[in-house]
Amino acid sequence: MDAPRLDLDRTTTALLTGLFDPRNAAAWEAFDRRYRPILVGFARNCGARDNDAAEIAQETIVRFVEEYRAGKYDRSRGRLGAWLVTIARYRLLDIRRRAGTARITSGERAMVDLDDERSLGATYEAQRRQSLLREALEELRTNTRTDPRTVKAFEMLVYHGLSTQVVAEQMAMSTHDVYLAKSRVAAKLREIVLRLESEYEEAPGEWEGSDARPSAGLAP
Amino acid sequence: MGGFRREALSGTRSVRDELSSPHLEGGCGRFGRDDLELAAIARTDPEAPVAAGLCDHLTECLICRTVVERFAADNAFLQECAHAAPKAPQRPERSDDGPIPGYHLGQEIHRGAQGAVFRAEQLATRRVCAVKMLLGGRFAGERERIRFEREVEVVARLRHPSIVTLYESGVSRRDEPWFAMELVDGERLDEYVRAHACTPRAIAALFQRLADGIAYAHRRGVIHRDLKPGNIVVDGDGVPRVLDFGLARDDGDAAFRPSAVGTTIAGEFLGTFAYAAPEQLGGDPTAIDSRCDLYALGVVLYQCLTGKRPFEGARSIGELVGQKTHGVADRPSAHNPAVDRDLDVITLRLLEADPARRYETADALAEDLARALDGRPILAREASLSYVVSKIIRRHWLASGAAAALLLTIIGASIALAFAYAKADRERVRSERTLSSFREAVGSASPESAAGGAGLTVEEFLELIEQNAEAALANEPAVLAGVLDTIGIVHLGFEDIARAEASLGAALASRRELHAQGACSDGELAESLHNVGRVRILKAELDLAEAAYREAIALRTNTYGTRDVRTLLSWRHLASCLRRQKKLGEATSLYNWIELEAQRTENYPALEMAAIINGRAFIDAAEGRHEMALSGYSKALDTIRTELAVDDYRIGRSLFNIASMEERLGRTTDAIANAQQAREILLLRKGGDAATVVQVETLLTRLRTVQP
Repeated sequence: MDAPRLDLDRTTTALLTGLFDPRNAAAWEAFDRRYRPILVGFARNCGARDNDAAEIAQETIVRFVEEYRAGKYDRSRGRLGAWLVTIARYRLLDIRRRAGTARITSGERAMVDLDDERSLGATYEAQRRQSLLREALEELRTNTRTDPRTVKAFEMLVYHGLSTQVVAEQMAMSTHDVYLAKSRVAAKLREIVLRLESEYEEAPGEWEGSDARPSAGLAP
Repeated sequence: MGGFRREALSGTRSVRDELSSPHLEGGCGRFGRDDLELAAIARTDPEAPVAAGLCDHLTECLICRTVVERFAADNAFLQECAHAAPKAPQRPERSDDGPIPGYHLGQEIHRGAQGAVFRAEQLATRRVCAVKMLLGGRFAGERERIRFEREVEVVARLRHPSIVTLYESGVSRRDEPWFAMELVDGERLDEYVRAHACTPRAIAALFQRLADGIAYAHRRGVIHRDLKPGNIVVDGDGVPRVLDFGLARDDGDAAFRPSAVGTTIAGEFLGTFAYAAPEQLGGDPTAIDSRCDLYALGVVLYQCLTGKRPFEGARSIGELVGQKTHGVADRPSAHNPAVDRDLDVITLRLLEADPARRYETADALAEDLARALDGRPILAREASLSYVVSKIIRRHWLASGAAAALLLTIIGASIALAFAYAKADRERVRSERTLSSFREAVGSASPESAAGGAGLTVEEFLELIEQNAEAALANEPAVLAGVLDTIGIVHLGFEDIARAEASLGAALASRRELHAQGACSDGELAESLHNVGRVRILKAELDLAEAAYREAIALRTNTYGTRDVRTLLSWRHLASCLRRQKKLGEATSLYNWIELEAQRTENYPALEMAAIINGRAFIDAAEGRHEMALSGYSKALDTIRTELAVDDYRIGRSLFNIASMEERLGRTTDAIANAQQAREILLLRKGGDAATVVQVETLLTRLRTVQP
């Protein structure tokens, strides 16, 4: 149960560097898989309709990659997420302007003030965190050597809200083992989350400049 | 659990490095791992059992405390993961032998007064859902059961992004009604708004979605009837969702009323009623239509925008009813400057006591919210603003139309006191009925209503109310006494001493009788005595006034203590009485004592302090110390000016006192200026016939003979 010690220098920029090469499909795909769902969710929460949200995500990714290749993305001037939000915000404002003063559709009203940097940041961060956890869970199920019984006990406990006693009975384990399974999964998930975040230099909570604040539930 | 200190469970952040070796996962060894896990769960779930002695142990043992913290952090993290998961992975097989056929009940999500909500799985579809069990809600008979199921069928047809879908309902093996609904992982609306520090704009957007959902249900004939923050959840995508649509009932069938109208806990009662429209409180089910949902939405909107409910000060249902029906809520922007005019108007429009003045439909509300968000002019503005303004003016302006509104507000509050703490439900229901029939009677007497009332004077109107009250409240002597007392105070305000004496005297007589039977509190009796004392002073029956005040003081000291605003108020009135009796020495030392006590009394009103200063100035004037008196009157005026409207009658009185002293001191020019101001205010507030106006007119005439 050693805490993961990641070599940040080696892994951080590897994926982003891949974006320089138009033929590096893997890098493209990985970047897209990571950020598209975040941007779609972000745009929807900012009041865009589903179609518009997809379009905004698409345009934002394209524009980011262009700027990245042109050397405009400067780490020291802000996190990757902040760049994406800045780009996406312009697209959102475009759409709002195009819609003019006409009512867009009911129920699709802006939830976030596009002029409020802090709430834009928070909206993006919430989406990013959700995507990250989904990715980590997916990896836990498909890609780790964690004992399937451990994963199953964890799922029964956390997803289905079953009591420890019930899980222990159904899995023929002791309650102690059920708790142990939970701890193991938590540790594994944290490890995955840390690695995924470091791949894109997106350590949690570093939204605003260098004021690092650890997000809830994650061990430093 | 008794005796354990749960605070020990929420210890300070500790060093997780302690845990780098796995053997420490069991803590120091004194308690088992299971015990430590349960202690971690107890940090978020107060129901979780904690082993005996563990709380104390945790305060001392760093290792165990660190372990518990780590487990708790794990739990929070895993819950977050579970919420992020797009859909639940493969589930284990389940047997169908739980309390609800066809469902497997999991963890309890929430438990309230009327039932509990469980995470559950529908075995046939493997669909994860929420099941709400109405505990203790057994059906009285087959008919009720069929009706319940029929209603659920209608509600289950609602499909809207902002409405939590109801799947089905039934009766458990233990004969408890239940219903299964969509499981929404989210936060209560008010908590969401607070936690995300939502701007008014974001709140408006949330309410536009809500209004859409509610409009959809209304078009299908389903009214919610119990909208409140606890029934609105914001999901992970930031979409507000309404729960329990159509399941609240107002026809006395307590089993199906999530609002728990029949609860015996006064606070809870008020809490739920805070969202109820005035017409819902009248007890007439036919008066209720979809617009009651709009009122409730208005209260919730107000709360989200300002952090408080529009009529928060009410101490009882009756008072709340009075406020809701006749009060005007502050503009939300008065509490939160970020709220703009449009949202002010929209919110106040929803809070109109008269359903006809609210939005006609939830669609219209959604439209106006959309307009506000787009920066287009809202449709509610024109009519509503002028109406609200006129309502506020009427509230403060004592012309005959105004008296009605003012009076009804005060009476609403006084009726409240009489049954605020009614112990049994039956008693409360009776009181509600009494109130509504009284309201009806009063309503027909209002000069604002067409029924021949246009020509009524204030006095006639008050008299009509009094007669109606006597008839409507014949079987509720305690309530009647409260109403009479209030009416008497209003008469006093108009300096109509004869009528005031009749009403206050009747109230006192009735309360004395009730007091002897134990049906009236010391505090209420003291209130009547104090008020009768005021009449006696005005009638110059000073010995009777003194006796009334002394009796009131004894009761109030006994009930509230010496350093209480009410007790000291009676003392101050007694001092004023002594002054008029020319017992100036006694009065002076009493004023000094009251001032000392007042300084030690928390929240002693500035106006009362000014009255003490004023009282002493009167004594100075009576003893010929005109300069001191003038200084006292001026000091009192400075104080009340910070508290009152510029044209409050008390300012007029104060200016008159100052002018009188200036006359004595030969400062005629100043005296005329102040007397003229006093005359203007008193004429406006009291009318030309009032004794104080006559006094000031006389003073002015005198002054002008000196300096034309």
